[in-house]
Amino acid sequence: MNNRIKEFRARYNLTQDDLARKVNVRRETIVFLEKNKYNPSLKLAYDIAKVFSMTIEEVFLFEEKE
Amino acid sequence: MKKTVILFVIAALVLIAAIWWIFSGQHVADPAEFINLGVIIILVGFALFMGYKRLTSLKKGQPAEDEMSKKVMLKTSSLSYYISLYVWLAIMYFADRLNYETHTIIGFGLFGMALVFGICWLIFNFRGVVDE
Repeated sequence: MNNRIKEFRARYNLTQDDLARKVNVRRETIVFLEKNKYNPSLKLAYDIAKVFSMTIEEVFLFEEKE
Repeated sequence: MKKTVILFVIAALVLIAAIWWIFSGQHVADPAEFINLGVIIILVGFALFMGYKRLTSLKKGQPAEDEMSKKVMLKTSSLSYYISLYVWLAIMYFADRLNYETHTIIGFGLFGMALVFGICWLIFNFRGVVDE
């Protein structure tokens, strides 16, 4: 699963710390999400999408495995 | 914050007890005691590191622990428990062949468990948790 968190964060001029505070997680979690090293819970995915006023599908890109 | 304070208090108590034990002079220096000391150092070091991480997060206005840190700890615990079973099996196998006292063997086992836990935590903490 890929995501566009870094892109949207830059667009909204948010630092990793700012986003972490907004969605109530640690900065490390945002770092791991941006590197695709962690798959968030549905709630966290929803909270992140809400910060960017987007839907989950717009922020998180699912790739179907063959 | 309460959990972080408890973490530091426990680490301090363990450290004080270890220092008191070392300087009590009621023991003979043997390899088992150095192994026990190794276990204490790993555990206290880990507790202090976790406490420091929690404090820096709290200072930034972020939670001390979140869903990822809980998941890392959960994965670390389950994998290290699984590996520890094999560590104890290996120790039981070698216990019959090597001439060590019981408390030395237990010390080896505890050291192995602490080491396995530390390694598993490092792997999950730096590699990340991706559930596919």
